[in-house]
Amino acid sequence: MFDWPTFLFSLPLLGKALLITLQTSLLGNAFGFVIAILISSMQLAKMPLLRRLGGSYIFIFRGVPLLVQLLVIYYLAPMFGLPNLSPMVAAVMALSLCSGAYIAEILRGGLMAIPSGQSEAAHLLGMSRPAILLRIELPQAVQSTLPSLVNELVLLIKASALVSVVGLADLTRVAQNLASSDYLFFQHYLVLAGIYCLINIPLTMFGRRLERHLERSLA
Amino acid sequence: MKKSNLLKHSLSYLAISLGTSFAASTASADLLEEVQERGVLNVGTEFHFAPFAYLDNGQQSGLNLELMERVAEELEVSINWIDLPWPSVLPGLEAGNYDFVAGPAMITQERKLRYNFTLPIADATVAILKRADDDSIQTPEDISGKAAGGGRGTAQLEQLKAFAAELPEPPTITEYVDYSQTYADLAAGRIDAVANSLPNIAYTATQRPMFEVVHPPFGQPAYFGYMARNDEESASLVEAINEVLLSMHEDGSLAELQTKWFGEPMDVPSEDFEPEI
Amino acid sequence: MTFDLSIITANAGAIWNAFLVTIYTWLAGSVLGLMAGLLIAALMLFGGRPLQLLLRVFIELVRGTPFLVILFLVYYGGPSFGLRLGAMTAGVLCIAFYSSVYFAEIFRSGFAAVPRGQLEAGECLGLGRLQLLWRVQLPQMLVLILPAIFNMLTILCKETAVLSIITVPELTAVLTGIGTRTFTFIETLLVLCIAYLLLIEITSRAGRWLEHRVGIYLQR
Repeated sequence: MFDWPTFLFSLPLLGKALLITLQTSLLGNAFGFVIAILISSMQLAKMPLLRRLGGSYIFIFRGVPLLVQLLVIYYLAPMFGLPNLSPMVAAVMALSLCSGAYIAEILRGGLMAIPSGQSEAAHLLGMSRPAILLRIELPQAVQSTLPSLVNELVLLIKASALVSVVGLADLTRVAQNLASSDYLFFQHYLVLAGIYCLINIPLTMFGRRLERHLERSLA
Repeated sequence: MKKSNLLKHSLSYLAISLGTSFAASTASADLLEEVQERGVLNVGTEFHFAPFAYLDNGQQSGLNLELMERVAEELEVSINWIDLPWPSVLPGLEAGNYDFVAGPAMITQERKLRYNFTLPIADATVAILKRADDDSIQTPEDISGKAAGGGRGTAQLEQLKAFAAELPEPPTITEYVDYSQTYADLAAGRIDAVANSLPNIAYTATQRPMFEVVHPPFGQPAYFGYMARNDEESASLVEAINEVLLSMHEDGSLAELQTKWFGEPMDVPSEDFEPEI
Repeated sequence: MTFDLSIITANAGAIWNAFLVTIYTWLAGSVLGLMAGLLIAALMLFGGRPLQLLLRVFIELVRGTPFLVILFLVYYGGPSFGLRLGAMTAGVLCIAFYSSVYFAEIFRSGFAAVPRGQLEAGECLGLGRLQLLWRVQLPQMLVLILPAIFNMLTILCKETAVLSIITVPELTAVLTGIGTRTFTFIETLLVLCIAYLLLIEITSRAGRWLEHRVGIYLQR
C-alpha cells in the first residue's frame, strides 16, 4: 500500500520545497506585519480620508480569494513598472498584501484596547505621534494579540499552498509533480498533509499556550 | 540564530530580485541584447506536457530541455525555467514576467496575431487517447455521448469542443488545469477520452500501456511552436532562435530529437506558414 | 494593453452558470459543514474521554492541512480506494469536511459561553439534559456565535475559488478559462474580483442584519 522507496526518494525534494514554503510564508508574514501597522494606524487616524482608505484596503484584500489575488498581482504588476517579476517576489507580494489586511484587523483590536491615557501622557512628555505608536502602543498591542498573530501565521502557511499558480515550486507543487509522474496520488498527498501538520500543529499549540499564559497574566 | 540567517538571506534575495526587476524595466529596447547582457533567458513552461516537458524523478526532462540547451549554447546564455500551470503561462508572457515560452503551443491563426511564434518544432494534430481496455471507442466519433477532457486554455480543447459539437450526442467536456490531471482522471475512469496532440498522447501511451491512441487524429493538421511577445523588442530574439532551428533542420539534429521523443522524425515547415486553424 | 468588456457580455450565459456553481458549492458545503460541526461539538461535550481525544486529534489534523491538499487527497487520492466522486460532489464534501472542524470549535466555544447558572436553574425546573440543550443552550449560543459563523461563511465563499483546480466549473475556472482563450486576462480578473467582493459584502451585511434582528428579539 505504502511505497517506502518512493517515499524515501521524495523526501529530499520535499525538504527543499518545504524551505520554499516556509520562506514564502515567513516573508509574507513579516511584510504583512509592516503593512498591517500602516493600515491599522490609518484606520484609527482622525482624518476621515485615511480611515476610509484603510477600510477600503481591508475590504478589498479580505474580500477577494487569495488565488485570484495571486493572479492579479502576477499579471498586473508589470503595469506598475515591475516586469520580470520572479515567482518568489510575486508570491511574497501577494501573501504580504493579503495577510496585511488580516493582521491589521488583529492589531486594530489590540490598539483599541490600550487606555487612551497612555498616549495622552506620552504626548505631554513631547513624544511624536509615530513614536507613541511604535514605542508605546504597538509593543502592547502585539503582546496582547500574540496568540492571534501566531494563528494568522498558521493560516498563511496553509494559504501558501496556492503559490504555484505564479510559478513557485512550493511544497504542494512538488508533491503534485511527484504524484503525476508515478500516479501514487494518495501516498504523496498523505505525506504532503503530514508535513503541513508537522509544522502547523506545534505552531497552533504554541499559540494556545501563549493564550493561556496571557489569560493568566491578565487575571 | 539559524532562523535570523534564513530571514536575512531571504530578505537580501528579495531585495536583489526586486532590484533586478526594476533594472530590467529600464534596460535596452532589444530583448536579445538584454538577454545576452543578462546571460539568462527566462523561459515560461509547464512541466505537465510530456514528452516536451515533464518531471523524471523530480528533474525536468523532455524535448524542450534538450532543444533549448542547443539554443542556449548558440546564444551563449543559460536558461532559467519557470514552471506554471498552463492557464497562467500566456498571461505571464504578456505581463513580461519572462522573455519566452517554450511550452510549446499549437500555432493557430488567432494566436499568431497575438504572439511571435518560432518555426514549428513538431506536429500538433489533435487525437483521442482512451483506456486500452475500453472497446467502445474505435474511432474518434465514438466519443459521442461519453465524457471527454482537455486542458483549460489550450487550443487542443478548442478543437475538441468544435469536434464534439458536430457529433450526434455531444460528449460532456471537463476542463483540467494540466494534462497530467486529465490522464489521471482517464485512468480513474472519470472520463473516457482525452483530446491532446498526437505526439503527447502517443508518448503517454508508450509510457503507460493502460492507455491507447485512437486513430486517425480528428483535428485539423497543426504544428507546435515556441513563442515570444508580439512586439519589436522580441523580434530579434525570435529571429535568433529561428536561425538555431534552421541549423538544426540542416544538420539533422531536430529530426534526431524528434525520433528520440516521438519515435520518428516529423515533417515540419522550415519557413513561415499559414495555419489551417 | 487593451480593455474590452464585450467579452464578458458575449459570455454572460456561461459566467452566470459558473456563478450559480459557486453559490451552490459554497452554500451546500457550508450547510453540511454546519451540521457536521454541530455533531462534532455535541460529541465533544457529551462523549466519553476517548471519543473526545479522538475528535481533538481529528480537528487538529484537518486544521493543520491546507484546503487544496484535502481536495487533492479526496479527488485524486480517492480512486485508489474506489472512492470516485465527481468533481462537484468532491468539492461540496471537502468544503463540508474542512469547515466542520472550524464550525465545531465555534459551537463548542458558544456552548461554553452560556452561563452555568442558567443550566442549574433549568435543572431545578426539572428540564432534562436534551431539553436543556434544545431550549436553553442552543438559542443563546446561536446569538453569541452568529458573527463567527458569518465570518466563516465568507472564508468558505473564497475557498470555493480553489475548486477551480479540480475542474469544478465555478467562477474562477470559467473566467480564467475565457481569459486564456480570448487573451482578455485583465478584464476577466477584474470581473472575478468584483463578483467575489459583492458576494462577501452581501454575506457580511446579511450577518450584521441578522445579529441586529436577533439582538432586538433578545431584548424583548
